[in-house]
Amino acid sequence: MSASLLIRRVGPLTTIQDAGRFGMLAHGISASGPMDQAAYNLAGRLAVAPPGAIEITTAGLDFDVETGPCVMGFAGGAFTVRHNGKPVAWPGTLALDADDTISVSPGANGNYGYLRFDGRIDVPAVMGSIATNSRARLGGLEGRALVASDRIGLIDGYAPELASASAPVAEGPIRVIWGLHADLFPTARDRFVSTPFRISSRLDRMGVRLEDPAGVFTDSAILSLVSDAVLPGDIQILGDGTPIVLMRDHQPIGGYPRIATIVGADLDRFAQLRPGTAVRFRTVTLEHAR
Amino acid sequence: MIFTTNDTAPMQPTIMPLGDGALLVRFGATLSGAANRAAIAFARSLAELPLAGIVETVPNLVSVLLRYDPRMVQLEQLSGELRLRLYAGDNATLPPASHHTIAVTFGGEAGPDFDAVAALLQLTPAAFTGAHNASALRVLATGFAPGFVYCGFHPPELHLPRRAEVRAAVPAGSVLFAAGQTAIAATAIPTGWHVIGSTTFRNFDPRATPPTQMRAGDTIRFVPAS
Repeated sequence: MSASLLIRRVGPLTTIQDAGRFGMLAHGISASGPMDQAAYNLAGRLAVAPPGAIEITTAGLDFDVETGPCVMGFAGGAFTVRHNGKPVAWPGTLALDADDTISVSPGANGNYGYLRFDGRIDVPAVMGSIATNSRARLGGLEGRALVASDRIGLIDGYAPELASASAPVAEGPIRVIWGLHADLFPTARDRFVSTPFRISSRLDRMGVRLEDPAGVFTDSAILSLVSDAVLPGDIQILGDGTPIVLMRDHQPIGGYPRIATIVGADLDRFAQLRPGTAVRFRTVTLEHAR
Repeated sequence: MIFTTNDTAPMQPTIMPLGDGALLVRFGATLSGAANRAAIAFARSLAELPLAGIVETVPNLVSVLLRYDPRMVQLEQLSGELRLRLYAGDNATLPPASHHTIAVTFGGEAGPDFDAVAALLQLTPAAFTGAHNASALRVLATGFAPGFVYCGFHPPELHLPRRAEVRAAVPAGSVLFAAGQTAIAATAIPTGWHVIGSTTFRNFDPRATPPTQMRAGDTIRFVPAS
């Protein structure tokens, strides 16, 4: 059996993701994968899904089930989902049949939601992964974001992806480890952890720019550095003093100074912070990062 | 003979965490031929004789990125094993590498900055092409973009800073020149480097395994396209 979905309405930057395309940094390809890995895994457990998800953004997604049946699990942030017009609790699971309609619309919080299915999303794997890399424009559906009138095929018969339940989401400041160039910010260093920043409206899968209302980095001298490896969660300071947190579709190499790196366990909840949200950072030692 | 720049002895390697699942072994804080060679050699030695818990090894211009699985190995233990390797190894010698010959169309539409670069270097166009192609270069690093390679170093008399203006996009195959290096873009990228030519060679094919052909440490010679 297989199923087919017809996309009717889709928010910007909605992409197909899987756990990620790891091991390709030397070839110039960041791993991509879900902005909120824990939510991706939860949606997968709810649908008993093979690898692969539709990662939706705040504007949501409407689709028709052209052929079915299929099972859909959904999680991440707090979206509103309607099945044939009837509201359904988020996160959750739905059994879908041909001619059903699904409408996912913005909810109380979060930037990213995950729709996963009991069938495998029928797009070709590129370098072992179907994750869309918005920077390199590969993976997913022709390397691009989904648009209205796209069809997503689902193929039965694939083994579910096994992912253990994640630790409960931590609260409080986002935990970071001092970065490669923290010593180059002798005065800003202390203020970085004592001052709130704000999520700006300039965010995507490559990076999240922060507003710095207290001007912590305003007077940071522009530094000429040898380019070095970059990973998701790295907080780099641009030449004009803007802090930017690099995310899943990050550039593999960067030349801007990096003050700190968000620990892996806190990157999911950071990704879900909406523009305008205040964010504080707290440094931890490596022993306490997990 | 490969020309090098700032070819001083590399500093004592330092091991620094990069978040909670990776570390960097750095052989210098500035770009030098010695630090670059040491990074490439150390990455190669780790690829040949891997350490448990390391899931990805990436040589950069002056460092080696190691992603590790914290469930398999702790930073402290891994750092200890890396220090043993660093002290035991002769990281100044590069193992044998592949050689590539790349045909380039210099100037014209393919290289809008070619004439300006030659003028800045006070060379005729022919003399600049000759000087640019005179020596074999080393692939210093990969990874800035899919299939992108940095190659160096040119002799000091060919060193120029980057352009003041960044171009939003240069096409795949662009041959770029700045900072004593020539770089090749395998995909369209934004760049502040001078565009001096183009090549039909593409160091990136997403359907191939591996998707790129050039490795850090390979040697490369540029020749004029016929």
